[in-house]
Amino acid sequence: MKNSVVKIDNLVKRYGDLTALDHLSLDIAEGEVFGLLGPNGSGKTTTINCLLSLLTYDKGDIELFGKKMSPTAYNIKKEIGVIMQNVAVFDELTVYENIDYFCGLYINDKAQRKQYVDEAVKFVGLEEFLKSRPKKLSGGLLRRLNIACGIAHKPKLIILDEPTVAVDPQSRNKILEGIEQLNREGATVIYTSHYMEEVEQICTRIAIMDKGKKIAEGTKDELKRMIRNTETMNIEIIDLPDEVRSKISVLPHVYNTEYDGSKLTVYCSGGKHNLTRVLGVLQEHELGFGRVYSELPTLNDVFLEITGKALRDKED
Amino acid sequence: MQVFNAFFKVLRSKLGLALIYIPVFIAMTIGLTFADNGGGVFEQERLNVCIFDEDATPLSSALCDFIGKRNDLVPLENDRDVIIDALYYGCVDYVLTIKSGYADKLSVGKTDELYESMRMHDTYSTVYMTQMLNEYANTVSAYIAGGNDAITAAGKAGEAMLKDAEVNTAKFDDNSGAVLTSTAALYFRFLVYALIGLTMSTLCPVLLAMSRKDIRYRTNCSGIRPNSYTLQILAGCVIYIIAIWAVFVAIGAVMNGGVFEGAQWIAVLNSFVFMLFTTMLTIFVSSFDPSINIINIITQVISIGMCFLSGVFIDQSMLGEGVLSAARFLPAYWYIRVNRMLEGSEPFDQNTLVLSIAIELGFAVVLAFMTLLIRRVRYGGMTVHKAQTSAACITE
Repeated sequence: MKNSVVKIDNLVKRYGDLTALDHLSLDIAEGEVFGLLGPNGSGKTTTINCLLSLLTYDKGDIELFGKKMSPTAYNIKKEIGVIMQNVAVFDELTVYENIDYFCGLYINDKAQRKQYVDEAVKFVGLEEFLKSRPKKLSGGLLRRLNIACGIAHKPKLIILDEPTVAVDPQSRNKILEGIEQLNREGATVIYTSHYMEEVEQICTRIAIMDKGKKIAEGTKDELKRMIRNTETMNIEIIDLPDEVRSKISVLPHVYNTEYDGSKLTVYCSGGKHNLTRVLGVLQEHELGFGRVYSELPTLNDVFLEITGKALRDKED
Repeated sequence: MQVFNAFFKVLRSKLGLALIYIPVFIAMTIGLTFADNGGGVFEQERLNVCIFDEDATPLSSALCDFIGKRNDLVPLENDRDVIIDALYYGCVDYVLTIKSGYADKLSVGKTDELYESMRMHDTYSTVYMTQMLNEYANTVSAYIAGGNDAITAAGKAGEAMLKDAEVNTAKFDDNSGAVLTSTAALYFRFLVYALIGLTMSTLCPVLLAMSRKDIRYRTNCSGIRPNSYTLQILAGCVIYIIAIWAVFVAIGAVMNGGVFEGAQWIAVLNSFVFMLFTTMLTIFVSSFDPSINIINIITQVISIGMCFLSGVFIDQSMLGEGVLSAARFLPAYWYIRVNRMLEGSEPFDQNTLVLSIAIELGFAVVLAFMTLLIRRVRYGGMTVHKAQTSAACITE
């Protein structure tokens, strides 16, 4: 059994009448990449701020590394690295000076700090930009600098609060690879995002949040098993008669169908050979069809089924 | 000392402005010092005058002699192109032709059409020259009418017109009790503008950078204690302002002609207290998190406005009572009061001096309290936890 790095028990945070966190409990073990997944305003950042004692809370307990977290728990804070959504660096300092500054808030020894800063620079691949100022860097490079500033002091717990917002796909992949590497090197990671693909890709365990509540928690497979849907089939077909659609709807394991005039979507729950049976019905009625593809459930399906709404905002 | 070091690294990027400010200020002070050294006496401008005497009589020669006493006579070839070139290139200011028959006309009291003149521009001097020639002709004519012969009349007219009226510039103050040299006094007077401008334009952006929301958030997440963070920034501020002040005082000593002595140190103390005020003003303004453009506007408004109202740019003796009444609410007014005592423009009064410096200090203290109050309101309290709360809320 691995040690618990983060333990949140029954946490409640209110802003007036608004309950931002509603009896939230989490237990994150050493070496995990723990995903906090939820739409904007679900309470992810509030959870992080409470965790870091940057916010007071109304009820509950927070323990980090087995010790109670408080605003003056500086020894605990020294073991944490925080990477926020916004790039928080000095425009007036060079890349190297920025990393050195933030590393220096944790590491006093100059020689050790130099080594750590050099390693962080190498880790994010900013060797060529050491003397550049942040304004001269592209968006992707800035994000990498932001990460370097957060992890240079080699924290045991790394908290990443939506670090890939507004980042191009190439830089996003590099960031995700970097997080996985940090985890392999021994860091426990808390990763908040509303990008389900990222969370699916890197997180070993995931908590889905909505309206300040934890609505589900587990590995991605455990989460997917929580829902009815196991397979979604999409068949391009024109002029599908209602009687045929009715026949498909009553097939074993099919619990829902949708048809928009050109595409039939069939939702199945468990079972095998569902696609064969559906295509069999179409052939039986001598109906021609185009592209056919089948999808396994995603975290968005999990979220959709549990909350009745999509995980990600339309604009994302 | 990580924050302290970062403070100076950020400051280094803002010092370009300071390096411009200091030489400009010194040049301005020196320029104004020399501009004020006219000795308070007016002297008539001498023109380069070329005279073509077509009359060639003793009377016209007398006129030439008269003009030559107040101006420099320049010989030129009597050729239109040569004359135009000389006028164009400024070799000559006024070309006078004494027309033939000048003596005859003047002897019978006719004063019109005696001369012809050419000039490039109608400056005050050339217009004055024309007026003087007319006046000369009228005066000679008057003397002739009085029974003098033409030569005697010309001599008397010239003598009368060459008498100078003594003109002195009015001095509003008696500088007999001056402690500082006039150059040093002027330097310390204009120092108000330089101190406000330089401190605000360099220190404000540094303070803003060090307390930017995202940076503050990240710092609050780290292992550094908030008190340590604040103290390191304050230490940076103190060292920076003392360095600036020391540079200005050193230049002041040069302006004074050597190391300060005796009561001259009051000027140094006065400038230090005013520097404290400008520092607190800078910290106060930066508490509102203004943009750099807003800082520039505020700096200009405060520095220029305060300097005009308080008697930096215009001497207090020339300001109206209403303006001075309003200026009493500005620390620069009290700074200038002390400076005026040191330059001898005001009687030296120890009580007024102490009171003035105390009031300047009072302004600094009031600003310090207001800054604390504003930070308390803006960041929700002075406790560590609440200050951090506010920083965290920013990202919500």
